[in-house]
Amino acid sequence: MSWRLITDDGAAAADGLAGDESLADRVGRGTSPPTLRLYTYRPHVALIGRFQDAAHELDLATCRRHGIGVNRRPTGGGAILMGPDQLGVALALRARGLPGRARELMARFSDGLVRGLSGLGIAASFRGKNDLAVGGRKIAGLGIHRSASGGLLFHASLLVDLDVALMARVLRTPFEKTSAELAAVAAGLDTVRNILGEKVALTDVRARVAAGFAESFDVGLEPGELTGAERAARDTLAREKYRTEAWVFQRTEVPDADGAAVLTTPGGRLDVRVALAGRMIKAVHVHGDFFEREEAVADLEGRLRWHASNRPAVAATVREWARLHADGTLAPDSLTQTILSAVRRARATPVDGPYGCFVSPGREREAVGG
Amino acid sequence: MESERLYDVPEDRHYDGTRHLWVRRDAGSGLVRVGIDAIGLEALGELAYIQLKAAGTAVARGESLGTLEAAKMTSNIVAPVSGTIVGRNDAVLQDPLAVNDDPYERGWLVELDPTRWDEEAAELVSGEAIAGWVAAEVERFRAEAPTD
Repeated sequence: MSWRLITDDGAAAADGLAGDESLADRVGRGTSPPTLRLYTYRPHVALIGRFQDAAHELDLATCRRHGIGVNRRPTGGGAILMGPDQLGVALALRARGLPGRARELMARFSDGLVRGLSGLGIAASFRGKNDLAVGGRKIAGLGIHRSASGGLLFHASLLVDLDVALMARVLRTPFEKTSAELAAVAAGLDTVRNILGEKVALTDVRARVAAGFAESFDVGLEPGELTGAERAARDTLAREKYRTEAWVFQRTEVPDADGAAVLTTPGGRLDVRVALAGRMIKAVHVHGDFFEREEAVADLEGRLRWHASNRPAVAATVREWARLHADGTLAPDSLTQTILSAVRRARATPVDGPYGCFVSPGREREAVGG
Repeated sequence: MESERLYDVPEDRHYDGTRHLWVRRDAGSGLVRVGIDAIGLEALGELAYIQLKAAGTAVARGESLGTLEAAKMTSNIVAPVSGTIVGRNDAVLQDPLAVNDDPYERGWLVELDPTRWDEEAAELVSGEAIAGWVAAEVERFRAEAPTD
């Protein structure tokens, strides 16, 4: 069996996303072959998740000033900044024969990326529901869209490199964009070049990722391009959907909220901030003067992204995290208690809660005693 | 190995066996309500967002009634029968987890005035076929689950 491999660079936001969605729809209908597209966007585009609010998540004035394209992905998750140093992965397959459960499906798709990174000498692993991490630090965000036609679109953004300062200017964040705060953001993520050095070319990463997917799914890859019919479908979808304000600036009815709590524990002062979408945790940030490896904290924050905010669910995830990081000083019960206190305060005071895919809510300016 | 799970799949309605949506027809009004069944919710996880098409929209079976997001997977909600949307459950738009909490009552999604009920209902899973379908789906999911 073989898939088509499409590689392209410098995609505009609407064209890139319309191409991916229309491919998934056509693959589901059986009018296009299974396709792996490995591509980059023009510098730069800011892409929000399917249900996010662009005005909440992005500094739209900065985007306009710098000519940064803004659009909405068909897949879920947080806002991301894409450009020449972030490899976009779009895999369009038929759903039949693939796992039916979201987590298994995400893990199945991510295996191609894991193998590709392994070929570069990077040991990445699937974390939580939808992250790829190296030593607890996020290196790729993952998302899936299931079309009405039975097609599946797997999306990933792999950080070959990242301008953290630019990302912080474009994505709205709740913290002061000081060097210390940016360093805290950077500590939670990693890039291929940070691990391997500046000389790694994106084209080399792309080749490894392609080989990783071929190996994972036991398929051959035939280089190709969009057909005339596929280009027409992409252009129609871009015109009727991705280039419309109704799509880019649509709003959801789920209320955002954020909250914070502080607790002094035997292991140190624990300061937790959470961002909620309704009753779901969108993001959580844990800091304080306790002794815990940055990677372990980043791993916890990753596990709690898009996570239920009820006590049993949070407690179970924190316990599992503590089991895997047994050398730390944070007591799981204290951590759970502080997170749930922050959740309760968030529910009491709904506000805007903008956090990007690679950004956690930051340091609390006016911590409330826990 | 994942332990055996028991799913609540009421026999008072029809099911889209592939997409795990339930359909219940009100005998008096002839209108049908549509929601997600327990197996479908187990596969999706907790719902973060739901968007539904407006009342008055006509949809054919297999077309999208809206979109949802769970664990960063978005999915079209595909109409199990053809009809016109006559009502939406606004409560689940603001609190999608209500679907997970109570999928068969408070967690309904849309109400349709069906246009081809008799012929399309015959293609849904119902009655005595439900038990066998559930057993097959449970087995399928168990085969997919990772082994620790």
